[in-house]
Amino acid sequence: MRVLAVVWLAVVLLCGLYLGYRIHQGTLFRTDLTALLPQDERNPVLQQASDTVSRALSRRVLFMVGHSDRDTVRAAATQFSANLLSSGVVERFDSQFDAERVVRLGRQYFPYREGLLSERHRTLLQQGQGERVAVNALSQVFGFVGMADAALLRQDPFLLLPGFIADLPFPASRLAVDDGYLTVIDEGVTWIALTGLITGESMALDTQQRLIDVVTEAETGLKAKAPTVELRRLGVVFFGHAGASLALKEASWLGSLSLLGTVLLIVVVFRRIGPLLHNLLALAVGTAVALSISFLIFEELHVAVLLFGISLIGVAVDYGLHYSASLFDPAMQRPAERLAHVRMAITLGLLTTLIGYAALLLAPFPGLHQLAVFAVVGLVAAFLTVILWVPLLDRDRTLRHGAVMLQAAAALWRFWSTPRLRPLHYTLLAALVLMGVLGWLRLEVDDDVRHMQALSPALLKEQADIQHLTGAVPAAQFLLIRAADDEAALQREEAIMPVLEALLAGGQIASYQAPASYVPSAARQRENTQLRAERLDGPLRQSQYAKLGLPVPEQAAPAAQGVLQLAEALQQDTVPYLKDLVVAPGLHTITLHGLKNADALRAAFAGIPDLWVVDPVTDFNALLGRYRDRAAMLIAISAVLMLLPLFWRYGLRGALRVMAPPTMALLLTPAALALLGQKFTFFHAMAMILVLSISVDYAIFCAEGEVGHHSIIMLAIWLVTFTTLLSFGMLAFSEVAIVQGFGLTMLVGMCISLFLAPLARRRTESAA
Amino acid sequence: MLRICVVVLLLASSGAWATERRGEFADGQILLGRFVQLRQLTGFPAPLKTEGRFTLVAGRGLIWQAETPFAVTTVISPSGLMQEAGGVETMRLPAARLPFIARLYAMLGGALSGDWRGLEDAFTVTREGDEKAWNLRLVPRRSGDAAIPFREILIQGGRFADRVEIVKPDGDRDILTFADQTISTQPLAAQDMQLLDMAGRR
Repeated sequence: MRVLAVVWLAVVLLCGLYLGYRIHQGTLFRTDLTALLPQDERNPVLQQASDTVSRALSRRVLFMVGHSDRDTVRAAATQFSANLLSSGVVERFDSQFDAERVVRLGRQYFPYREGLLSERHRTLLQQGQGERVAVNALSQVFGFVGMADAALLRQDPFLLLPGFIADLPFPASRLAVDDGYLTVIDEGVTWIALTGLITGESMALDTQQRLIDVVTEAETGLKAKAPTVELRRLGVVFFGHAGASLALKEASWLGSLSLLGTVLLIVVVFRRIGPLLHNLLALAVGTAVALSISFLIFEELHVAVLLFGISLIGVAVDYGLHYSASLFDPAMQRPAERLAHVRMAITLGLLTTLIGYAALLLAPFPGLHQLAVFAVVGLVAAFLTVILWVPLLDRDRTLRHGAVMLQAAAALWRFWSTPRLRPLHYTLLAALVLMGVLGWLRLEVDDDVRHMQALSPALLKEQADIQHLTGAVPAAQFLLIRAADDEAALQREEAIMPVLEALLAGGQIASYQAPASYVPSAARQRENTQLRAERLDGPLRQSQYAKLGLPVPEQAAPAAQGVLQLAEALQQDTVPYLKDLVVAPGLHTITLHGLKNADALRAAFAGIPDLWVVDPVTDFNALLGRYRDRAAMLIAISAVLMLLPLFWRYGLRGALRVMAPPTMALLLTPAALALLGQKFTFFHAMAMILVLSISVDYAIFCAEGEVGHHSIIMLAIWLVTFTTLLSFGMLAFSEVAIVQGFGLTMLVGMCISLFLAPLARRRTESAA
Repeated sequence: MLRICVVVLLLASSGAWATERRGEFADGQILLGRFVQLRQLTGFPAPLKTEGRFTLVAGRGLIWQAETPFAVTTVISPSGLMQEAGGVETMRLPAARLPFIARLYAMLGGALSGDWRGLEDAFTVTREGDEKAWNLRLVPRRSGDAAIPFREILIQGGRFADRVEIVKPDGDRDILTFADQTISTQPLAAQDMQLLDMAGRR
């Protein structure tokens, strides 16, 4: 044994060294949800594109600075954006439209004006209403709002280019450019919108913290200058930060409470520090080895795997507690005897739990694979620590203060093994079955991630304010178009624009931005050139110049200058938004604003090849749903697989008897949760995996219990239940819905498992 | 945008210089008149000449009707701007999309009640002459302000503003002359009332 213990020490040290090396290297954890997606189900190119766009969208932030005085708010907006830029938390702001930028935009389009028509002008020309286009231009020249510029009028007597530029899609319908800033005046308050792109990933905790710190400081700076200046913010990063800080705040107080409770419990029960240290050692070794091996296999782990994984390894602490409980047994004086007493039970417990966790490998989800490896490795490591090291470290003599505790712990065992209480047993079981039936009838599932997050009410209020001020907020959903090249993609966009216009007219969206809105396809530009020559320049050019009181320019219609190519516009980077819309040549997105109904959007574009409605929230909901389904199925499969080692040890009848309490716990827990008003989610399913493994452990320990030792076994089981409830059960008090669901499942599942565990005891004993 | 400024100034001068008693032009009163506008554009042989009439209703808005060479009506009200030609609406800008309109109203309201601060924030104002014949010269304080795209504005007047000259940065200039200006206390014509209502619609 000592040799094995030394070998194990060497292995643990090696793992520790590797882990240290990896931590030193950095980038160990991923927080993005895409890491959890099954990789083989979708077109990888498409998936990568939609990930890129989703990530870019989630990096966008929108601030609105408001004050009753125009100059004050302009100064505030300038100061605020400068602060954010200089501190590096925002990569760029793209909402400033200064005169120079507008001039550059005009210069970019001017050489190609022959082929550029606004949708309004194009429709009028197609309908043969060239006269109205001419009248519109005249009314601009002679009307109160003079937009006419001498040089422009000479070149463009119908003012088609200003029409095209004015009709470029502009996301927020209520905003207008006021001397470079996007501005809206609402109830006497001037608001300036600042949109930008944050530096770093919106889901990275350090990015969130740095941004929030800088924004808070900048806001304080603004208020110091003008106390009544107001600030509103919108962006995935703010919601992410609010959620994370709530979770961290809770984790710290729930965590301290549960740690304190566990330490207190073990110290009070054993009146020794040894058992506590042994159990912490098992957990620490388990986690460290699990991390080390997982990094070796997967390179990176998802942070969710870490959280759930440590919970799963926590089961290993139970083995230590079973060992420690035998300290109370006067028949066992030496550590080797104590170990021999529990070895079979914890080995079986380990085996069944390993089966449960390994079943997770059967699902094609990278997240569950990582979790399975992490948990299996950690569990084995913790088990080896308990059987190889703990007996060597154990210096404690038999404890003699446990009589009352043992008596109390065994009460449940006595309750189930007292023959004259049999009618009560049956009544209770019938009641449980009735509860089960009622619960299952009411069971509902819910995979909507929006219900699982506790969204900050303050941020939701700011979002509503911004919605009101700007008229529409950007949608998380977008369209993705794939074609052979840019020209083909632009033509596709033009082909589906009538559908988008119909959605616009029906109020389903407030606006949309397609690359083709900024740079029409070459085909469309040539068509426009022809349309304009036939319907406008041909019949109306002479009379238009006459009405303007201008001489007709000497040269005939200027020769076609060719068409504006998307690549050229991208390279010049003068056209706003265009860079965000083109992912790669031939791979374009159309972004949407003020989306009312995602289903209507999906329906409108269903069945169109090489066009996808990407909806990250719905996709993620569907993913969670599939994870939930898989998890539930795997629980059932692993319950069946667990029968194998039990069959080997107890025979068929014995194995079925041992599996009876866990099976009941599996069936009754969701029912009880349903009766408590919980909707079943993926996170409830994850907790059920734990319920199953712990519940099987309880049953095995009861089945291994010999006459006379049952009180020590029951004490261990009670201890395990208490420590489990102190850790996971506490989560039921969380404000975060998913954490609360997880905790409540553990609470209910543990209580049912504990209550029914003695049913797995050997029958010979019950007859005695 | 340019001519919006002109009207601000026109009204400002009419209100604060030409009238002996401040507040003579009160809510519900109507200022009527005719205008001739000459736009001198570099590179053009003759200026663009527009003639028409205007109606300013205190507290409600302005109707600016060009008659020759092309009939087009523009109505500005606190809620926005509307333009129509031949019975067809050719432009509509709600005030929320046009922060300048809101600024305009702030300046206008201030000037009419004798508060020059709004105007003097944006311009250096030079005044000459007396109440019967005066000159006013406005130079923007900030160059490069896209909302005020001109180099200087010269206004001459007596009881009302009679002539306004606007010089643009590139040397182009607009010259507006006003005639037949009267202050009416009669109710607004139904047709004009309707125009103001149309501009107020969203």
